[in-house]
Order: sequence, then C-alpha cells, then structure tokens
Amino acid sequence: MGRFATVLNLLSVVVVIFAVAMFLPLGVSLTLEDGAEGAYDLAILATALAGCVGWVTTRGGRRELQPRDGFLFVVLVWSVLPGFAAVPLLAYLPGLKFTDAYFETMSALTATGATVLSGLDALPPSINVWRCMLQWIGGMGIIVLAVAVLPLLGVGGRQLLKAETPGPMKEQQLTPRIAQTAKGLWLVYVLLTVLCGVAYAWAGMDLLDAMMHAFTTVALGGFSSHDASFAHWNSPLIEGTAVAFMLAAGISFGTHFLALRRVSLRPYRLDAEARAFVGVCAGSFALVVGYLFLHGAHDDFSTVARYSLFNVVSVATTTGYSTTDYAAWPVFAPLWMLMLSTFSTCSGSAGGGIKMMRAQLMFQQTLREMMRIVHPRALIPVKLGGQVVENTIIFAILAYMLVYGATLTLITMLLTATGLDFMTAFSAAAACVNNLGPGLGEVGPASTYAILDDFQTWICTLAMLLGRLELMTVFVLLTPAFWRR
Amino acid sequence: MLHPWAVLHTLSSIVLVFALAMAAPLLLSASMDDGARFAFEGGMLLAAVAGAALRYATRGVRRELGARDGFLLVAAGWTMLPAFAAVPLLLYFPDLPFEKAYFEAVSGLTTTGATVLVGLDALPPSINLWRCQLQWMGGMGIIVLAVAILPLLGVGGAQVVRAETPGPMKDNKLTPRIAETAKGLWTVYALITLACIVAMKLAGMSWLDAIMHAFTTMSLGGLSSHDASFLYWNSTTIEFVTIVFMLLAGMNFATHFLAMRDRSLRVYWSDPEAPPFIGVLIASVLIVSVFLWWRGTYPEWGEALRYSAFNVISIATTTGYANTDYGLWPVFAPMWMLILSCFVTCSGSTGAGIKMVRARLMAQQALREMRRSLHPQAVLPIRLGGRVIENNVIFAVLAFMLVYGMSVTVVTMTLTATGLDFVTAFSAAIACINNMGPGLNEIGPAGNYAMLTPFQTWVCAATMLLGRLEMFTLIIVLTPGFWRT
Repeated sequence: MGRFATVLNLLSVVVVIFAVAMFLPLGVSLTLEDGAEGAYDLAILATALAGCVGWVTTRGGRRELQPRDGFLFVVLVWSVLPGFAAVPLLAYLPGLKFTDAYFETMSALTATGATVLSGLDALPPSINVWRCMLQWIGGMGIIVLAVAVLPLLGVGGRQLLKAETPGPMKEQQLTPRIAQTAKGLWLVYVLLTVLCGVAYAWAGMDLLDAMMHAFTTVALGGFSSHDASFAHWNSPLIEGTAVAFMLAAGISFGTHFLALRRVSLRPYRLDAEARAFVGVCAGSFALVVGYLFLHGAHDDFSTVARYSLFNVVSVATTTGYSTTDYAAWPVFAPLWMLMLSTFSTCSGSAGGGIKMMRAQLMFQQTLREMMRIVHPRALIPVKLGGQVVENTIIFAILAYMLVYGATLTLITMLLTATGLDFMTAFSAAAACVNNLGPGLGEVGPASTYAILDDFQTWICTLAMLLGRLELMTVFVLLTPAFWRR
Repeated sequence: MLHPWAVLHTLSSIVLVFALAMAAPLLLSASMDDGARFAFEGGMLLAAVAGAALRYATRGVRRELGARDGFLLVAAGWTMLPAFAAVPLLLYFPDLPFEKAYFEAVSGLTTTGATVLVGLDALPPSINLWRCQLQWMGGMGIIVLAVAILPLLGVGGAQVVRAETPGPMKDNKLTPRIAETAKGLWTVYALITLACIVAMKLAGMSWLDAIMHAFTTMSLGGLSSHDASFLYWNSTTIEFVTIVFMLLAGMNFATHFLAMRDRSLRVYWSDPEAPPFIGVLIASVLIVSVFLWWRGTYPEWGEALRYSAFNVISIATTTGYANTDYGLWPVFAPMWMLILSCFVTCSGSTGAGIKMVRARLMAQQALREMRRSLHPQAVLPIRLGGRVIENNVIFAVLAFMLVYGMSVTVVTMTLTATGLDFVTAFSAAIACINNMGPGLNEIGPAGNYAMLTPFQTWVCAATMLLGRLEMFTLIIVLTPGFWRT
C-alpha cells in the first residue's frame, strides 16, 4: 500500500475531476427535462465522495511519481473510471447489468464505440451526451497517453515519439513534463472539436447532435445518438464533413500542434506517418470502390463511391460509424477495412491498433532482413523521417507486434470456445483490440454487442482496455518483476 | 556472385535422380498391371531427357556453388520438380488441368497433403504410391534444407540450428558440408520409415498401404490412398501407431541422429524443442477432448480423447490425416488445431510453419521487452538451451514472423477477394503456408481443394512453396537486389 499511495492519491484527484465532468450531462438533462437528472445526482455524489475518501486516506504517502508507477496509474485510471462512468447508466436503466454498463463505458473511455445499447434514439439526450462525452474525455486521455506517458514508459517502441513531443523536455520529473505536453495537445484537440461541431451544425445536424458527434469524431470513438449511426441523416454533406474530420483526427495531434504554432502546413508534409496514413486511406478507398462496383454491391457508381468513402475511412481510423450495413458487402471489403483498422492511424492520434509508425518501421525492418540475407555484412539502418531508429526501439516494436498477434489469437479463441462463430469472434477481437467498435457477423454494424454472454462481454471489455493501453502496459503488471522492489 | 549455370547443372542431377524415382511406381504398375504404366513411362522419359539435356548444356561449367546460389537452387528445385512430378498425373488423367496437377505435385513435394483428386480408392495403386512417394522424397529434401541449407543461408534465424547439426561443419563450401549432413540424416529418416512400415503392417494395414502411409507419416505430409483417410480402417491400434510416428517425425532429425549415435535418450530431454513440442501437444489433446466432451460432441470422454488425440496431433504436426470430419466440431477445436499447426513442430523435422524454436525465441523476446520497460538499462540476453542467442538471430526470427503474418493476411485477402468465404480462405492460407493440408469449411477434411478456381489453385500452390521454403528463400529470389552482383 505504502508504495502505491502516490498512485492512489493521484487517481483520487482524477476521480474527483471526473465527477465534475458529469455536470455537463446533468445540465443537459435539467435544461431539456429528459428525466435522467436523478441518475447524475447520484453518480456525481458517489464519484465525488469516493474520490475525496480516496484522497484523504492516501494523502500521507505523496512523493514524486516514478516511471514505474506510471504503469499502475494508467491501468487503474482506465479500469476504475469506467466503473464510475457506468453509474448514471445503471441508475437510469435499471434493467442494465453491471457487466454491460461497464462494457459500454469502457468502450466509451477507450474511444472504441462498441455498444450493448439499442434504441439509442429513444434514450434521454443527456444519456447520449454522457456516452459521447466519455469518448471525448477518453480521447483527451489517449492523446496524452500516446504522446507523453507511453513514450516515457518505453512501451512498444513509443520512445521514438519522445523527440517529437512539443514543449520543453529537459526535466526528468514525470508530472510537469506531462502537464506541459498535455496543455498544448488539448488546446488543439478542443479547437478541432469546436471546428468539427460547427461544421456538423452547418452541414445540417441539430446543435445537440453536432456536439455529440463532434465529440465522438475527434476522439475516433464512433458512438452515435442514433441506432442508424450516420445513415440517420442520409446526407452526403454531413458524411463528407465527418470524413474530413476523421482524417484530421487520425493524424498525430503533435503534428497539428506544430502546424498551428508555426502557422504552416509543412509539418504535415514532413510527417511520414501522416503521408502514409492518408495514402493508405486513399488507396484503400479506390480498391474498395473498384471491388464493390465490380461486384455490384450498390446500384450505381456514385452510391458505391459515397458508401465506400465513408465506411472505409470510418473503420480504418477506428472510428466505427457506418452509413450502411457494410458487413453485407462481399466479405473481402469488410475484411480489408478491418485489416486497415489494425494499423492505419497515426501514433499521436486517438486511434487504436498498431499505428502507422510501427507498421512503417516493421516494413522497413523486413526489407532490412532481406537485404541482410543477401549481404550478410552490410550495415543497414532503419530510418523514419530521415532519423535513424535504434535497434532497441525496433526490438520493442517487434515485441509489441508479437504480443498484439498473440492477444488477438487468444481473444478470438476464447470467444469461439464460448460459442461464437469464427467470423464474429475474430472480428470482435480485432474490433475491440483496435478500439474500432463494430465487428462483422453477429456484432456487425447492423447489430450490437448485446448478443454476447457475460463472460464474452468481460473478455471484450478486457480486449478494449488491452488495446488502448498498448498491451504491454497491462501485461507488465502481470510480471513478477513489476511487484518486486 | 551468382552462378546460374552451376545451379542448373546441379538441378540437372536432381532431375535425373527424380526420373529414377519414378521407377518405383512404374515397377508397381507393371507388376500389378493397373493400367497406369504408360503414364510413368512417359513421365520418366520426359524427366530423363530433360535432365540429360540440361546436363549436356551445362557441361564444363564451374561446379562449385556459393551461398547465394543456394537460394536459387532451392527455389528453382522446388518449383521445377513438381512440374516433372505432375507429368504422370497429367498423362493418366487427360482431363486434369495443368494447375491442378501442379498443385497436387507441389502439395506432395512440400509435404502439404492438400489434394484436388477425389475417388482415391479407385485410382491405380501406382498413382497413389507416386503421390505418397513424392511426399517422402519431399521430406528428405526438407530435412536437408532445414538442417543444412537454410542455416547456411541464414534464413529466418535458422542459424540457431547450425551448431547442432551433426558432422564436421568447418568446411565453408556448400556442397561437401551438405552432403555430409544429408547422409547422416537420411539414414535416420530411412530407418524410422522402415520401422513405421513394419509397425503399420503389424497394426493391420496391407503392405502397400503400410508403405504409402509410412511415407506420408514420416514426411508429415498426410496424403492417403483412401478418401476417408484413417477412417477407412477405424482402428485405434493403427491410429496409435500413426500418432507415435507423427510425433517422431515432428522432432528434429538431427536429435534422432544424435540419440542413435550415442544410444541414449538424453538428447531428447536437452533438446530445446522436443519437450515443449510434446508438452504443448499433450495439453492441447486434453483441452480439446475435454472441450468436445463438455460440448457434447462425444458423450463419452474416452471417445472424445481418441478422436482429439489423432486429429489434434495430425493437424498440429502439419500432417493432415483425419479419422473424423473435425470440421463439424464446434469451431474452437479446429481453430485451435489450426493455430497449433503454425508453430508446434521442431526445426529440422519434416513439419512446417513457424517452428517451436522460433516460437520459444519470440516468447522470450516479448518477455524481455516487458522487463526492459521496467529496467531500461538492464542487459537481458535471450538464452536457448543454455546458449545466448545473438540479436541478429532474433531480428531474423522477428522478420520471419512479420513476413509470415503478412503472407497469411495477403493470401487470405486474395482468396476472399476472388470469392471464397472467410473461414475457407483463412484456413486455406494457414493450411497451405504451414504445409498442413486440409483447412475448414469448403476445403475441410470432408472436402478438398478441387473446388478452387484456377487462380485460387495457383495462389494456394504458391503459398505452399512459400511456407516450405521459409518465406525468405523464395521472396529473396524475386527481389532485384538478389540478381545484382
């Protein structure tokens, strides 16, 4: 306990702040009189109380955080907050099991977008605001996690990003460094969200929907206030807006920050990851359009193009919106999209999966080994954006890839062992580990995760958490070495 | 330096030996008068003429092969020989398209065991003998490839096997070193095959069946002279004998060699691969049998154990026999078996896939990176069997894993794009790249590869070669850098 007092103390602070966040849906509920206000009263009270009690009991052990504490802190934040976030849902929907509520809020805070709820249109607006806002808060956490925390912890080759983080990086202490980075990135994040909301409102959404969907677009989450997702509007203008902002949110916020500070588009051009991300999305769009048109999935070319553009970008960026039941397309197309979701997004974005940077380095590493077989004595450095990447980083990334593959396999096997068919199990595993949301088969875009039994729901919840914390962060906690002093 | 003429010269000898090998089915055909004699006469003539012509054309060229020529020899050998092997099939079945005959021959020589032929029981015995004999010869090639050639070429971290090869290893020239190793290993291979023939005969097979199935068991190939595979006998004795020999063939033949030379079983225990190989299989058989019993596939656990033991070991060792249609089992079981086939067999065996040694190194690498994130400054060597494994070996193994993963993905996507369903496509990719044989669904143990389109047949044939030549050997030859001097 003594060793972890600092971690728990900091966690308590986060919980208290989280309680404050619940005032937004409470405000919405009071304004619209949607009948859910009691749920927030209770939740705010419970969360604030728990936070305060936690803070008081752990106050004594405060000291500077060590990098090693970071692992525990991050895992605790992402597993405790969904518990509190679930309280309003549990209070308002008495039939909802804790398992499902926790799944829903985990899906929100990890910006996954998988849901167990249906009949979203009939829910009180404030509940939907809460769900979408959770994704937005989750997105904030993820960006700081990705750009400031994981690089410090050295998880999965993230060290590489250290050099690219904005702000002074000289102090060795954890907290000020993260705070500094966070401020800059959150500013960009908020700005992009506001822009996105305004654009949605201009394109034809009502104000509340514009806000909610701006929240879930910028976080690459994918929750919607409508069961039909973006098919609800059936508007090319809204879809186009969403595509633009999903692409923007798929690029590293560090790059956005630099571009804003220098008032120049150059950082985008210099960002090898962003170029590859946009290139892969464009190439895949062309491929899927061609394939679907050839197979006559929709009547005419413009419909095919419209649906492919939106759904490919939505799935590739791990957002998870849909404008049609793309699972009904010939299976190559949805599988391709699922595959894109595993690696497309950039490393400083709120997207999930392997990330483009790792994919690029892995590709280069493979080429290097082939060269090495032909020229055993050659020294061939792996480079990214002109910078030589150290072997330790390549090793870390390779280990990450292995653990990623093993996790995906294990989760698929657990889901098939408990009775799901292979397509459903595999796509659910991929969709959860990549924090994408909808899978294929029974958990496809036209359906929800409500069909899972309790055990499967927990497995998927765990998969989302693992994917979001880049696997290693969680698995390190399971090694005996972590608990040794 | 590349010496294509010297490679062709060596190939010509192999083709001549290959022509000689056709004498076995020819003699059988002549003695049984089964009507396929002309096919083997034609096949033999063609191979002999082609071999002799090639030899004549390359007479007087430099005979010595360098390391880089090894790639070319291996790649050319494994792509050319199936064409010659297909000739008897093409002559006997005038309606058989070339791609199907080539597929069957590749499946034979890579010891895969996937078949496009039906009505095996009605075929002339000599045709079946030829199919099975191809696998046995393929097995010979593979053992030498795995133990002598790939380590020299440094493909996919195969260097780790190097120190364990029997025979003097000081000579730097390719040919004598390989010849020395080959002699020892082939003796072991032939001896165990002999034992297998006798055991199968004693267990109740006819002599001819015993020979054919000993051929395909020892090579972990899995072709059979019966459509029903081992269900034809429905005998637990035969199944037990087969299990024992599949397990033997799944271990490193160099280890068998050492055990015979030292007349001691200790080498198996100190082998880095054999104990986990056996351990994983025992655990998997138990898991699958309990799972099937729990799911009510078999009401009695004993029955579940019998079927899971035979099919799990057959699939895991990449053999591909079946004594029931395990494709009908709840999907977890066949999927688990498919996953096992990816990594269970030992290097230096006739099995395929990632191999246990690589799997172990990868597991250690993943653990090492977790430790490293806790102790960034620590030096953490990876050990296997008491030896420290160098980083460049780890890099090579990791690159192998990446290419393996990419290949499975690309093949699966190609097969779905051309119209197969996901489970069929994915299982075909796995079954072909692991040189295992039957997949699931349409190409399951009760189906076969005859339903594939010509394009898909070529893709699967290429996948078998890719898997058998451990990816890099084939891919390297296709890169421009390889041909540059």
